Amino acid sequence: MSDWNLQDLQDWDDKICEIAKKHGLDWYPITYETCDYYEMLGNMSYHGMPTHYGHWSYGKSFEQQHSQYQHGMTGLPYELIINSDPCISYLMLENPMYLQILIMAHCVGHSDFFKQNRNFGFTRADTVVPRMRNAKKRIQAYCEDPHIGIDKVEELIDAAHAISYQVPRYPMDIPNLPEEYERHRLANLETVKKNKVDARDLPYQPEYDLLGFCASYGEHLEDWQRDVIEIVRDSAYYFMPQIRTKTMNEGWACFWHYKILHELELPQGLHLPFLKSHNQVVRPHVGRINPYHLGFHLFNKIEERYGIEECFIAREVHNDESFIRQYLTREDCEELNLFSFSAQNDYYVVDDVSDEEGWESVKKTLLAQTAGNSIPVIYADSIEDGYILVLHHEHDGRDLEVSYAEKVVKHITHLWGSEVKLITMVDDAPYEI
Amino acid sequence: MGSVFSHHRTNADRSAKDRSRHKEKIEKAIREGIHDIVAEESIIGQDGKKKIRIPVRGIKEYRFVYGQNQQGQAGSGGDADVQRGQKIGQKQKKGKGKPDKAGNKPGEEYYDVEVTLEELAHYLFKDLELPDMEQKQMKEILSEKFKRKGYRPQGIRPRLSKKETAKQRIRRKNAAKRAGTYNEEDGEDFGFRESDLRYKHITVTQKTATNACIFFVMDVSGSMTKNKKYLARSFFFLLYHFIRSKYEKTEIIFVAHDTQPYETDEDKFFNRGTGGGTMVSPAIEYVIEQANKRYNPQSWNLYTFHCSDGDNWGDDMDRTIELNLKLKEMCQFYGYCEITPEDERIRWQNGSTLANAYEPYEDETFKIGRIYRKDDVWKVFREFFRS
Repeated sequence: MSDWNLQDLQDWDDKICEIAKKHGLDWYPITYETCDYYEMLGNMSYHGMPTHYGHWSYGKSFEQQHSQYQHGMTGLPYELIINSDPCISYLMLENPMYLQILIMAHCVGHSDFFKQNRNFGFTRADTVVPRMRNAKKRIQAYCEDPHIGIDKVEELIDAAHAISYQVPRYPMDIPNLPEEYERHRLANLETVKKNKVDARDLPYQPEYDLLGFCASYGEHLEDWQRDVIEIVRDSAYYFMPQIRTKTMNEGWACFWHYKILHELELPQGLHLPFLKSHNQVVRPHVGRINPYHLGFHLFNKIEERYGIEECFIAREVHNDESFIRQYLTREDCEELNLFSFSAQNDYYVVDDVSDEEGWESVKKTLLAQTAGNSIPVIYADSIEDGYILVLHHEHDGRDLEVSYAEKVVKHITHLWGSEVKLITMVDDAPYEI
Repeated sequence: MGSVFSHHRTNADRSAKDRSRHKEKIEKAIREGIHDIVAEESIIGQDGKKKIRIPVRGIKEYRFVYGQNQQGQAGSGGDADVQRGQKIGQKQKKGKGKPDKAGNKPGEEYYDVEVTLEELAHYLFKDLELPDMEQKQMKEILSEKFKRKGYRPQGIRPRLSKKETAKQRIRRKNAAKRAGTYNEEDGEDFGFRESDLRYKHITVTQKTATNACIFFVMDVSGSMTKNKKYLARSFFFLLYHFIRSKYEKTEIIFVAHDTQPYETDEDKFFNRGTGGGTMVSPAIEYVIEQANKRYNPQSWNLYTFHCSDGDNWGDDMDRTIELNLKLKEMCQFYGYCEITPEDERIRWQNGSTLANAYEPYEDETFKIGRIYRKDDVWKVFREFFRS
């Protein structure tokens, strides 16, 4: 049915790799696995991880994607690649040759980004696959343990997932919180308590790692519960850099597949459909931001304005927020036809467009939704009498959806084992959940 | 540095288990939210086999998200000419989210779940039963059910299981190979033996069924507005499926009445038009008469359910109550359902409704339910049948 076999893929890949190397890309080797669309959907539900612990939410994700696909509402993504050394990527059997070539060139870009961007420095890409496999086995064992059982495990994972985005945003290795606090105590003996670390005095400074804090200091947690929370925490730290660099990562991959494909000297019959697919991928999504479109545009502009060297530097040191802040100019805003809008009564109304007086406000709005900035920042502030965990929301003008926050606080209560309260602002007034 | 290519080693259907867990959760949600959907127009009047699509609130994963005032969003205009102040789309009404939109934005997630009425009945009626069902002495019917239960080495020829028999032979062959008593390469035939034969085993379970006869009595007089009829039918529809799904040996008698009782069939009962005045006593009398004639209370469990808007001919009230008490004595359970939709209630403030007249007689075997709106149908239903 398909117009290619593994040998064809191998041949094209050799050429792609050669060109990429010549340009100075330095990536993790890639393992490509071919699969049909059904397996692709299955892999997507687990973020592409070859093994992943089970949870009903992944079944839900599968059902949603499957039904969207069945109803023709979305196509499948062309590519799925995970940040591991070696990278694992899936190629769908249903895709024609030219698309596979595009995907392979695209994946080289991603793999280079995973390996070189500083945000990924602590993701331990070399061990992520065995880590996930191991986690799966442990969780499975807890589910099968007659003293625990799947219901309890699920309830705990539900709770942990609710705050799986509540980890530090900046790249860092997963800290051992008790050790870290002890170090802090020793270094600040004059200001903090002299005797041993007491959970009641913690945290010394805002603690953004809610999962870690609960796992270390939650009341009455059993070992298996700490372990499950740590598993979710590990994957939260692992995925945070991808949330932080979506635009750059896709932009970089598109930038390179486009460059490489032009040097591949594709036969005409492959070249035209390739261009069509490429344009499809990097087209603007009207009313939204297509990260492929924005990222591709910016890397091209950086090359044009400052030279290719600057592109390599940018891909190494930036995250989406700093990247856009530094490189997005008025000219870009205008060219991308960016605008900001908000809900007024029953309609969405355009607030600002990218002209002389508007573009900076548009850019500011864009930054507020970039790189995980659409996820509220919550930190653990203190522990009050009665072992009440006090959380604070860093309010930046945007209110929390209270009905959701209430549910999440309930989940945190489950992890913490004692009362939890959250301080935020609603309608410019302090609000406590 | 080249890449490595391989065909995906299929580990079967990897999300199957998580999907089934998800499905269990949805089923639970269906059960819990069932009262939202039982009175939906799409369900009433369907037969059991037909699949109905019902929206089920999705199982949400809560996270911290920004709410309504989340200020502006940025987007790209593509080739369009975008102006300040331009309306670019309608906001979604709160609480009515689009299906299939997952995302991390607040809003309702809905799934369309396809179920047959039979399945729905299974969820609905799981923990309900007809009250006070007695094992009446007479006419107790034994129903026999045949069920497959494993395989046996003895049996009758027609129940021979070829598959199991073949498996036995293969097992014996492999054992022989291991023991070195048989070598396949020799071309020697390895035949069946008597001891290989396996027969499907069938057990008979006997079940005592209890006789029950249920009278459905519905007011179809002119005062029964479209809305009232709809609510009454919803109630009877539930009742009908409840009985059909839980009790095998039941007789259902449909009685519609205005000033006169009419015994109808199921189809007419649910779909018939209305008109005329209201007299309740002839209908009750008819039920008593028929029950005595056809279903001796000594040997049958009798149930009566009456739906009306509470309207009755004034002069008929005393007789109605008198007959009602008589009927109540005959029945295991007598449920009366008064339907007064909220917006049509004002008329009945004079207090002369049947429900008010019946109230002093309400007890364990005679219950009154009041239905004001769709949601109440299920509430009343549960009230009647919660054991």
